[in-house]
Amino acid sequence: MWDRVRNWLDVRIGINDLVEEEVRAYRVPKNINIFYTLGVVTIAGYLIQVITGILLLIYYVPHPDHAFQSVQGIMNKVPFGWLFRQMHVMGSNLLIGVVFAHMLTVFLMGNYKRPRELTWIVGALLLFVSVAFGFSGYLLPWTQLSYWATTVATAIPTAVPYMGDLVANVLRGGESVTGATLSRFFAFHISILPPIFLMLLGLHLFLTKRIGISGTPFGLSAEEKRPWTEYHKKNHPDGYPYYPRFFQKDLFMVMVYLAVMFFLITFAPNLFFPGDATMPADPYRTPASIRPEWYLLAPYQMLKIIPNKFLGVIIQVALFVLFLFWPFFDTEKEKNIMKRPFLRGMFLAAFALWVILMFWGRS
Amino acid sequence: MRSLVLSLLLIAGLPGISSAGYREDFAREFMSKTWSGERIEENACIDCHASERMKPVFREIVDEWRKSWHAQNDITCHDCHGGDPKDPSLAMSHQQRGFIGVPPYAKIPDLCGRCHVGILRYFNESGHGKALRTSGKGPHCVVCHGSHNIQKANIEIISEQRCSKCHTYGRAQDMKQAMFLVEKKITEIEDGIKALRRAGIYPEEQEQAFFSTQAEFRTLFHTVDVNLVKERTGEYTRKLDDIEKGISGTFADLRSRKNFSGFLMLLVSGMGVVMLLLSKTPKE
Repeated sequence: MWDRVRNWLDVRIGINDLVEEEVRAYRVPKNINIFYTLGVVTIAGYLIQVITGILLLIYYVPHPDHAFQSVQGIMNKVPFGWLFRQMHVMGSNLLIGVVFAHMLTVFLMGNYKRPRELTWIVGALLLFVSVAFGFSGYLLPWTQLSYWATTVATAIPTAVPYMGDLVANVLRGGESVTGATLSRFFAFHISILPPIFLMLLGLHLFLTKRIGISGTPFGLSAEEKRPWTEYHKKNHPDGYPYYPRFFQKDLFMVMVYLAVMFFLITFAPNLFFPGDATMPADPYRTPASIRPEWYLLAPYQMLKIIPNKFLGVIIQVALFVLFLFWPFFDTEKEKNIMKRPFLRGMFLAAFALWVILMFWGRS
Repeated sequence: MRSLVLSLLLIAGLPGISSAGYREDFAREFMSKTWSGERIEENACIDCHASERMKPVFREIVDEWRKSWHAQNDITCHDCHGGDPKDPSLAMSHQQRGFIGVPPYAKIPDLCGRCHVGILRYFNESGHGKALRTSGKGPHCVVCHGSHNIQKANIEIISEQRCSKCHTYGRAQDMKQAMFLVEKKITEIEDGIKALRRAGIYPEEQEQAFFSTQAEFRTLFHTVDVNLVKERTGEYTRKLDDIEKGISGTFADLRSRKNFSGFLMLLVSGMGVVMLLLSKTPKE
């Protein structure tokens, strides 16, 4: 049966050649490490979000009078609804962690350098879109936590003179977080972000495939030292075949991702559901502590401690631009961060500052 | 080219024209509800009473109210005393805003009874209520519950210290004993609901059933009729047992969820180990 299907496809789209060329004959460098699997883990994570998101969409009602109840229904009445929601919530947080880790390892291995500047930029935009997914999805359960965290977060643009209020009003669909905000965030979460994300992901994969995998983690080949005057794809004819060796490593890491997800669902099911996340939104009652998700805690705390809010926003925008276009700011040819004490020091300081701000924001 | 632009403008403009009415409905529907974000930023009663120009005795009222069960449930000054907290100039207008101020002693049960309707009915039929009506000196709500710092009702309100101010404690003690078992169950269920909330569950169904059952039971107490309370204890115990069963069922659900996700964790971990071993196997 399988052979007949395969043959049917082969005579029409040449699937055997495609598999041979793209899977069996595709080779990866011999010195490739486990961190190279993070890209595939990220894609698997997104796939889980899409599947669980569609299942949640069947039962979710994006209206302030029903949103909270519908989420409670998913958790307590829909068969295995709790599992899909837990996977979606845990997955959204884990996924951002994996994207962070992916970018961090690319940074540490210097693989953002020429000719992969565009791949880095698209990857950074994908991280931004992932955070936007998390931010817009946070409001949808219409809980006390989500309502007030969104109230605070959508107030941030008001720090910008002249057009800040307009931006905040566009985000909220009015002066404050209302049903209109819920509708906007819902539309943004399920119909505006996904096509943007798919386009960026397609571009990211295209660039990875077109440029080829860097074969020199932590080092610089003689070829890379020469001036870059014309396009050539990086191939690894002496490398390992991607299938089955590295494919199995990819699958192993996907299983690790799933195991961590189910570990958290089993032993820390309320990790991302503090007390206020189980109470329906009440615009008349402000909770004692309002804070965004962990990945927004550092920028949130930074905004809180800078006395001038406009300056705070400007610093954040500047940091984002620096992060996005980092390959153009770092013009040194040396890829090995261990041979670049200044960059190493800067990185460690920035990382430590991020962690401190995150825990400070949490307290 | 010009016709193309005009066509595009027409296509883009048509939905806008057709949805103009919808937009107004949408705004009316979405912006006029409690969740629309309209908040009472200022409360004239609290602003004035908390200010320095008030005598300490009047300032304390705000502090006491803030600690109360009423404050925790968003019951504010005007809910009892009338008036208009949004309009400082007419906040205390008797005629225009129905301000009550301090109610006459004998009228206090009527004031509280506007919300606590069932309790008022039983209270009026009780010895307490009859004494108040006939002599104007009997006990009313504030005597037992206090006024501004009203706390959530519990069985400890019935105490020798409080009851023996007016009469001997014996009968009140009988009442406390009659209520004890049901009150104990009420406390257990309260704890169970809190535990469910900590576990990330919002037990609305159980909470509603619990609220009405315990409120009914405590309403019954206001008859001050020990025999009646004893008679109906079985009925309330059954109702509370059903709620307790629902809570236990939810906990059992949580345990089976844990087992299932634990199983999935082991399954993917096993698959991960297989993949790792396969990737380590020497290839041709």
